[in-house]
Amino acid sequence: MQPEVERELIRKCKGGDTRFYEPLVRAYEPTGLRLALGIMGNLEDAMDALQEAFVKAYQSLGRFDLSRPFGPWFFQILRNQCRDKLRSRRARFKVEALDARPASRPASSGTSPERLREKAEARELLWRGLERIGDDHREILVLKELQGFRYSEIAAILGIPEGTVASRLYHARRALKEALDEMGAEYP
Amino acid sequence: MNPVSNDQLMRYLDGELPRDEHQNVEDELARSTELQREAALYRSMKEDLQGLPLRGAPAGRSVWDAVNRKIARPFGWLLLIVGTVVWLAYGSYVYATSSVDPLEKVATGGVVIGILLLLTSVIWERYRESLTDPYKDVRR
Repeated sequence: MQPEVERELIRKCKGGDTRFYEPLVRAYEPTGLRLALGIMGNLEDAMDALQEAFVKAYQSLGRFDLSRPFGPWFFQILRNQCRDKLRSRRARFKVEALDARPASRPASSGTSPERLREKAEARELLWRGLERIGDDHREILVLKELQGFRYSEIAAILGIPEGTVASRLYHARRALKEALDEMGAEYP
Repeated sequence: MNPVSNDQLMRYLDGELPRDEHQNVEDELARSTELQREAALYRSMKEDLQGLPLRGAPAGRSVWDAVNRKIARPFGWLLLIVGTVVWLAYGSYVYATSSVDPLEKVATGGVVIGILLLLTSVIWERYRESLTDPYKDVRR
């Protein structure tokens, strides 16, 4: 969505017209769901967190600075919402978010069923590794690898200095490697 | 010991390293097999994580309807309450200033106030129960 369009929509929403919030929700829903899924680990809790984050964002629009992009601000709210849910014990990171269906991308002609099976097992293992590391580690890996955010964006979402992102990522990757080792996995 | 710090290695792998430092890391990678091994590990981890196929929302399922209900509801309640108060005040005024027999006014007023009190107490009771309901988070 173009920044000018986004700003105009937010301006209308601030005026109290909820109809103009729908395009924003639809635009940020897929990315938001992926982020929530990565942090929560299962679809139901991720959808709940996403829904509550959109409601909170709408209620907080009065404080939103129109000169800044909506995305990082909203993802910060979503991330906090996910963390609150995880802390409240009503939700727990579960290994249910992996899509068990065959990859939508066509496999190359040289990919054997055996190789595909190995890949699927490696993914499952990696996901279980993510379950074992702490929320902080998992969160930054999700933002970087699953969402593909740049360091500046991650810093804005997590509310940390940009210089800290590399260090947090290093510790998260080390933690994941150690978790995989503890699981007896030979990685890579 | 590697002259390339852990942070630098992360930035290099994530494509966040300034150009001048980039060459320095590449030179060190060419020299150190230990650094090569470490870089290969993290690169592989990155690729595998990026390739994780996450479930998406079921087709046609969006959070918008639920969000819309929640953000529109307070406004609806506000209108309902304000409208009801205005009508009650106006109705009471019209009723009080009408030429109906005072006994009839007291009797009708008693019935109306009684119904309102009963309704309020039921709503209040339900509200208090909902706060302590242990099954409120159980999905239907």
